[in-house]
Amino acid sequence: MSDKLSFDAQLRLFVYRHMLRHEKSPTVAQMATSLGASSKKVLASLARLSGSHAFMQQESGELWRAAPFSCIPTPFPVRVGGKSWFGNCIWDALGIPAMLGKDARIGASCGCCNYDMSMEIKGGKLRSGAGLIHIAVPAREWYKDVAFT
Amino acid sequence: MLLFRSEQHIERWCRQWNRPRGGTFSLAQGWKLAQLWYGDRLDPQWRPKSAPEAESVFREVGLVGEFWELGK
Repeated sequence: MSDKLSFDAQLRLFVYRHMLRHEKSPTVAQMATSLGASSKKVLASLARLSGSHAFMQQESGELWRAAPFSCIPTPFPVRVGGKSWFGNCIWDALGIPAMLGKDARIGASCGCCNYDMSMEIKGGKLRSGAGLIHIAVPAREWYKDVAFT
Repeated sequence: MLLFRSEQHIERWCRQWNRPRGGTFSLAQGWKLAQLWYGDRLDPQWRPKSAPEAESVFREVGLVGEFWELGK
């Protein structure tokens, strides 16, 4: 990792690399140990990174969102090769193969009736799956209640 | 943000949850949006998109109108 990067940038990349390697987000303690920093410094950095809502923290300070990944299970599982993660929503679930540039199988179902709407990304294209994405909240209000959005 | 089988299922969901109709786009648009939004996320120099940059992405995907405006 380049020493030219700010601590926030180093932490952001560490979180993504850990998530990709281990299929789960690192704890604050793991971040602190791996980056040779105090938990206080890590928590302050996570708070700054959460300012853009790309990262979001639980009340405990641990991560619950490192977009497009969810750090907790959701109804949007994404499988890439032999690894799997969860997206926060259908946009984020699609964001995982978009971010990685890899084929993926995304589990999803109709928000109304739970009908299976799993889909596949292959060769950079949406190979299967039809449907409509509905977002109930106008863009300017997305982050007032991210869990609902 | 949820996925639905059809317009009818969106309307039913809105009635069930007493929510006004929001913004709707196709899954194909969603894939394009995801590519534009997340394609650079592993870049060490990544930074959050400004509101005008985000609105530009929305326009590129065909998401236009007041619903997709982020404000100043």
